[in-house]
Amino acid sequence: MKNKVQAFFLVMGGLVIAAGVVYGQLKKGYYSPAELGSLRQPAPVELLSDSSYQAAAYPVPAVDLTPGDGRQEVQIYCNTCHSPRYITMQPPLPAATWEAEVNKMNKTFGAGIPEDSTRKIILYLEAHYTVENRKQ
Amino acid sequence: MNMTERCLSRRGLLKIVGVTSSGMAIGRWLGPHVTMAQEPAPGKGMESFTGPGANSHWNSVGPYVTEPQKVPLILLTDRPVQLETPRHYFRTAFTPNEAFYVRWHLEAIPNAVDLKTWKLQIEGNVSKALALSLPELMQKFKPVSLAAVNQCSGNSRSRLQPRVPGGQWGNGAMGNAMWTGVRLRELLDMAGVKKGSVLVQFQGLETGPGPEGLGSNLFLKSLDLGNPVLDECVVAYLMNGEPLPMLNGFPVRLVVPGYFATYWTKCLTWIRILDATDENFWMKTGYRVPDTPRGNTTPEEVKAGKVKTVPIERLPVRSFLISPDGSSKIPAGMNVTLRGIAFSGFGRVNRVEVSDDGGINWMTAKLGEDHGAYSFRTWEASWTAKSPGRYSLAVRATDEKNNTQPDEPVWNPGGYLWNRIERQEIVVGDAS
Repeated sequence: MKNKVQAFFLVMGGLVIAAGVVYGQLKKGYYSPAELGSLRQPAPVELLSDSSYQAAAYPVPAVDLTPGDGRQEVQIYCNTCHSPRYITMQPPLPAATWEAEVNKMNKTFGAGIPEDSTRKIILYLEAHYTVENRKQ
Repeated sequence: MNMTERCLSRRGLLKIVGVTSSGMAIGRWLGPHVTMAQEPAPGKGMESFTGPGANSHWNSVGPYVTEPQKVPLILLTDRPVQLETPRHYFRTAFTPNEAFYVRWHLEAIPNAVDLKTWKLQIEGNVSKALALSLPELMQKFKPVSLAAVNQCSGNSRSRLQPRVPGGQWGNGAMGNAMWTGVRLRELLDMAGVKKGSVLVQFQGLETGPGPEGLGSNLFLKSLDLGNPVLDECVVAYLMNGEPLPMLNGFPVRLVVPGYFATYWTKCLTWIRILDATDENFWMKTGYRVPDTPRGNTTPEEVKAGKVKTVPIERLPVRSFLISPDGSSKIPAGMNVTLRGIAFSGFGRVNRVEVSDDGGINWMTAKLGEDHGAYSFRTWEASWTAKSPGRYSLAVRATDEKNNTQPDEPVWNPGGYLWNRIERQEIVVGDAS
């Protein structure tokens, strides 16, 4: 009886090991659920044979600006000339660099942002996009 | 207890089906060819930004986006559009139009051009101002073709330490195309440049909402009339034998062989001869580099106001390993082909070397077809790693003027002229 039990476990053990070996060597059929995202194929464009050469509208995906005081000013004033993705694309920058960037928009590029809003934008960038505090 | 019995314990069973990561131990006992390591997670997304350290990836880290007339490219910014070409498109000497990187400065970029009304204007200090339609450009002048690399001044800006603001490009703000069009010199001669003229200025169709006279309103670039590069410039209406994608400058763009892309005006519509210096932002303030070897300086020198600058000009010599790209393991003993590209704005690349020890020992790579001095030159080398481990592959190019890629980094406030030797870590696995 004891021998039979031992033999049973030996056979079962052998099968499990064999399964393990096969799994390890020929692993396949491994799938996992995933997000499809939004990168759909564009549909073909309808073209006319006239003299106008057109490209479709350039897409502007939503930008995740960190919530906080001054975000609204960023969305209004910075957005006049460029999307706020110009901010999120940057590496974390020193506070002084952010201040210089915003001042450049006013002084060099004539953004004309009112003084209090300029201050708010600088404080917002310094509060969320420096080495010390950048999270997203 | 014998070995077989040991793996019959409950824990052992769990290990065998790979539920616990310590299954590695059992796997090792089963033999070296069995691993119970956890599978890689599927499709994990890239981080959303890099820094304050250098971006360690070949490309920048933005998401893919599909823009008109383009395959999915890496998004830097959407308005105005800046897109980077993914690494694998550089396997060939010519970069496909639909994958060619995009960089605009101002947000109002054309969505449409009506060729019934569009004319290329040659104006300013000339004897006879011209307005040429696209059919006139195609028929009145003998077409010339030239392969030339278009590289953004800020290509690889995300490598700089400390990081600088600006487009955080990886290495994909470059591309090579066969450009076909009219010699700029023929257009200038036809219009007749008047005596006393100094510069030729270029303006395309992009505009911005900023006040007139400022860099946020118009993007203007100019070249000295005495610059010999003008004899090599082409006003191109074909890119790799096809019309230019709108985002790359349809209907015509200026090609300035060997020069950074800032001069390659897209949707070129005005060629203006000036009799005075160009004081506009994009020449006087933007796209300038320190007047030092390699354009190198330090934040301290900039702060001290000691840095004299000059407009950026030619592309320093560069080379890249394109494949393998480090995303897969290579079995030890396997003879694989390393492939890549090289270029220089100073003359033909005539030597590419690769190293598998991070740049201590070098071997010469075989160069691909020569498409001209300003083109990408492909290279390949065969490589066998005899034993498993991590290898640092490095590649460096030398051009015919004997400029070789250095191994020292570059720093300047604009984040321009990066051309340090590139490295790629490759993992070689056990093959038996």
